[in-house]
Amino acid sequence: MKTALAIAAAVALATPALAQQRIPVGHLMDNSGATSDVGVPYGQGVADTLAWVNQTRQGVAGRQLNVLGFDYGYQAPRAVSQYQSWTGRDRVVAIQGWGTADTEALVRFVNRDKIPFVSGSYSAALTDAGGKSGRQGVEASPYNFFFGPSYSDALRGMLRWAADDWKAKGGQGRPKYVHMGGNHPYPNSPKEAGEAMARELGFEVLPAIQFALTPGDYTSQCLTLKQQGANYAYLGNTAGSNISVLRACQTAGVQVQFMGNVWGMDENAMKAAGAAANGVVFPVRTQVVTGQDAPGMETIRAISRLSDPTGNVYRPVHYLAGACAAMLMVEAMDTAAANGGQVTGERIQRGFYERTNWVPKGFEGVCTPSTFTNEDHRGTMRVAIYRAVVSGDTSQGSVAELMRAGTMRLEPVTTVELERKRELLGW
Amino acid sequence: MTVMTPAGDFRTSYRADTTIFPTRGSRAALWAGLAVLLCAPLVLDRYLLSLLINVGTLGIAALGLNILVGFTGQISIGHAAFFGFGAFSSAWLHESFGLPVLLCIPVAGLMTALVGLVFGAPAARLKGLYLAIATLAAQFILEDFFARARWFTGGVAGRLTESPAIGSFALDREESYFYLVLAFVIIMFVAAANLMRTRDGRALVAVRDHYLSAEIMGINLAYYRTLSFGIASFYAGIGGALYAHHLQFVSVEAFNILFSIQFLGMVIIGGLGSIMGSLMGAAFMVALPEVVQAAADALAGGAIDRALKIGGNISFLREMAIGAAIILFLIFEPDGLARRWKLIKAYWKLYPYSH
Repeated sequence: MKTALAIAAAVALATPALAQQRIPVGHLMDNSGATSDVGVPYGQGVADTLAWVNQTRQGVAGRQLNVLGFDYGYQAPRAVSQYQSWTGRDRVVAIQGWGTADTEALVRFVNRDKIPFVSGSYSAALTDAGGKSGRQGVEASPYNFFFGPSYSDALRGMLRWAADDWKAKGGQGRPKYVHMGGNHPYPNSPKEAGEAMARELGFEVLPAIQFALTPGDYTSQCLTLKQQGANYAYLGNTAGSNISVLRACQTAGVQVQFMGNVWGMDENAMKAAGAAANGVVFPVRTQVVTGQDAPGMETIRAISRLSDPTGNVYRPVHYLAGACAAMLMVEAMDTAAANGGQVTGERIQRGFYERTNWVPKGFEGVCTPSTFTNEDHRGTMRVAIYRAVVSGDTSQGSVAELMRAGTMRLEPVTTVELERKRELLGW
Repeated sequence: MTVMTPAGDFRTSYRADTTIFPTRGSRAALWAGLAVLLCAPLVLDRYLLSLLINVGTLGIAALGLNILVGFTGQISIGHAAFFGFGAFSSAWLHESFGLPVLLCIPVAGLMTALVGLVFGAPAARLKGLYLAIATLAAQFILEDFFARARWFTGGVAGRLTESPAIGSFALDREESYFYLVLAFVIIMFVAAANLMRTRDGRALVAVRDHYLSAEIMGINLAYYRTLSFGIASFYAGIGGALYAHHLQFVSVEAFNILFSIQFLGMVIIGGLGSIMGSLMGAAFMVALPEVVQAAADALAGGAIDRALKIGGNISFLREMAIGAAIILFLIFEPDGLARRWKLIKAYWKLYPYSH
């Protein structure tokens, strides 16, 4: 009887302890909403990487990660209510997030609850960790992180390139720049910063052109582009709706150099847009793309096999970026757990400041080095610009085959190193 | 008063005829139910409480729609827009004028009622399909307004809201906010039950049952149809304001046409023309995604999951479940949960002599 009681007591004590062992982590995805075209590969990259961490590294400090995925369909209110359930019920210690609207809405919440939030949004408003920029509408966001240059910095880099490009091509007079995108926090985020930079560089800035985040008929937008005589156009949306614009503009015979947002172009979009995507430039966050080689690519291939045992699925740029973003969080958790420390949100956040020129272990040559400080969450100021080159029919064959055959290529154009200006923090 | 209702109808006064809780048993059940609810924050976790809060806020708005659709026989497929207007109004009032949140909520209700009266004006002359399209216009006009009126809504980025406070005590946790919502639910539902016992309430029902007879009886059709829109919007505004201060974030994205359809779904599932049914419908709508999620979790990794690839597509499943629920209710239980509840009560009351 006594032994039975003791066993029962031991089981009762051990069960909650076992349950506590797993570290709850939230993962907000857009698999069904307006940005699901790029949300799916990015989310897959994050999910596979965290699963890989559990499988090969036994999680963080021997504790498995309990990754709670949620598809919020790019609806900010849904993300906020899911956040409340995660903090109220599951007590997550960190979150992998997604869109700009929801991430910005959650800034105040994650500050209150001290939960590091690694977003898929690179809005510059999330970089002012100390809240010292004094910009209107920018709050201190010490718990927000992301992997890559901010939307504004990426656009500044591309504009730098565009100014040189205009000279190199022997363009006459002032080049004309136009911002294009939906009326949504995400495309709006770098709008003013980009237009200010364009003016500074001597561009003539045309009135912005609006098109929705969803695919549609954007012929009238293209005719406006043509009529205004724009030379450089920024595509602020994600790939799906950008494809519609590219195709419509090809049909309308518009001669414009398009510059995509980081989420504005990828290998899938190149296949879908075909020749219309030829020549579009956009920033790539990782140092390599699938098909190229680097020491860390072996790790990426191992991660990829978790959701694709055949190893044949092509992983677009967003997948790699997702893997790097997930690893930043994991290594910050490692730091928090080092020397028997508690894995709490506060300690994880401090873990992000431990390293400079931070490349997660095993991802050398893949993830661009990031540096975060307690005042400045602009992880990198390096903008690597690539050009989408489509040289043939993309309707036949898979993305992997087209990339292998060279029908579609991602061609490095240049890498712009921006100065880390204090006055541009949070903008 | 007796514990049971006596066989036969012995009521001799209008007062007795319109009693909401006719027997001692029903009144005891009321107080017991209230006591249970008051204790809920002591036992339930924050997540379950937030679900209950959602039932309350959506229930209030659904009650408004039920007064319009179930009692007056009008139609509105723009209810979510009014819900949103209440949410934005309350956030705006608090931020721009510094009014205490507890005052903002009723004022937001009144503002929404005014907007509802404007958009309800066509209801004075239109009915059926034409009215449905007119309210659809209200949905889109208001949605567009929310996206552009930065001064009022914060534009597409939305607006952060504050928690209400009584003195220096902030109702910022589910445990405390629950009591606020409960208080509003009681006030709004008792008010609606009482409204239906007045001349105005009976006029609304008369308009629904036969508008021509009602007019001949001296009921001003245009007045009552528009009034009904005003009342429905007032309820939507209160519900929206409560929602805004609970979620602490309002964004135009939430108040789309799908949400309007969900409100209609709540009213249909709960029971058209039933006060309590509105709350039941809201509870059903809040519980449904939880049940679907639980079912998907249970299936995860199994053969069915692999075959259907549910994994990341759970949100589609949820939308489909709502659609299926509405269809099934229309076919098998057109009078909604309220009627089912009555049948269950009757079964036990008459047991074992149900016929």
